[in-house]
Amino acid sequence: MNRANLNFFLAGIICMSGLGAPAASAHHSFAVYDNSKTSTLKGTVKAFQWTNPHSVIWIMVQPAGGGAPEEWTIETTSPGVLTRSGWTRKSLNPGDRVSVEFHPLRDGSHGGGLEAVTLLDTGQRLEAKFGAAEKPGLQ
Amino acid sequence: MKKLRSSTTWFAAFAVCTAVVIAMGLGAASARAADKEPIDPAPTLKDYTALAALPDWSGTWTPDMTDQVKQEKTNPPPWTPEIAKQVKKMYADEAAGRPFEVIDHCFPTGMPSWMLITHNAFEILFSPGRVTILGEGDGNRMRRIYTDGRPHPADPDPSFHGHSIGHWEGGTLVIDTIALLPQVYLAVNEAVGIPNDGDMHIVERMHLQGPDTLHDDLEITASKLLTKPWLTTRTYYRQRARKYEIVEGVCAQGGFIDAKDANGHDTFAPITFHDNVPVGSK
Repeated sequence: MNRANLNFFLAGIICMSGLGAPAASAHHSFAVYDNSKTSTLKGTVKAFQWTNPHSVIWIMVQPAGGGAPEEWTIETTSPGVLTRSGWTRKSLNPGDRVSVEFHPLRDGSHGGGLEAVTLLDTGQRLEAKFGAAEKPGLQ
Repeated sequence: MKKLRSSTTWFAAFAVCTAVVIAMGLGAASARAADKEPIDPAPTLKDYTALAALPDWSGTWTPDMTDQVKQEKTNPPPWTPEIAKQVKKMYADEAAGRPFEVIDHCFPTGMPSWMLITHNAFEILFSPGRVTILGEGDGNRMRRIYTDGRPHPADPDPSFHGHSIGHWEGGTLVIDTIALLPQVYLAVNEAVGIPNDGDMHIVERMHLQGPDTLHDDLEITASKLLTKPWLTTRTYYRQRARKYEIVEGVCAQGGFIDAKDANGHDTFAPITFHDNVPVGSK
């Protein structure tokens, strides 16, 4: 069992023991992110959560000053919208080295709203497009 | 003469009595009819054939989000002065990064906000006596519009999408919606919306505006919020590429990550949120 699976295994145990944090509302406005700023981070994908209403890329990032890798939470739009701009649920996989461009949380917490992600080993760049279907007959 | 008066009185009394008995009988029959639950007839080949005469609204419809923002700025609802103050604060909170969450708790966006502010696609199905709109995004985004000529029920249960009846005027589907939950928002974006407080009424005229463009002309009456009915239009575009087909959208699933339980079975583990934003995978 690798580290990521171990974490999720433990999460499952915690959940069933009733000690886990209650699930909160998954749907919210992206105005929580500072859309006037763009940050960039490099890290390793821990998990890619392909869910409605928002998908989430969980990324482990090595802090510049050393120490243990830190988890970052980069949110993006729904599987339906992502599929139409060329994504699949397998676009990102645990262990992938990525560079993410995102609008950061305003309080400096380790999270943001995705603009684009680049797979460093292949160079493939995937954008998060919310309004990409504003004409008929798109291919 | 005395005898005649007596006969006349007796005859009048008999007539009144007969009328009352007949009226009572009719009243009872009427009450029995009202008590009888309506039964929908089985659709016939003719009913299905008639669908072919309706306009072609097949495919997947995607909203013009740029136009949503333009409409929000150029044609805002005629808010009452008191509501306008609340709306102003919501815009300020949104700009400051503290958005009020109109689409919260994974509730359906509801009507008319679904049509007004959606970022997601929907499809429209015709069947005898019914138009059904199925959305994507939050759970249970679905509108049932009865086109079989029925009226609204006398006292319908309020719901997120209300009770909708519709009829066709040429290629235009005219939809009348009442019975919305008072908590359901009249929203202009995902961070600015006000509960309708109980008497919202929506009339829509949905029609093609060109071969692959659908317009929904909405007239929204909400006396607790608006000084007059608000007339506004939203635009959607037809997609036929298969990758645009509607996918399942279970909102609550976004609060969970794949996990294994103690027996090794696949399960969902809740992720951690702070102020509605996911902040931890466990």
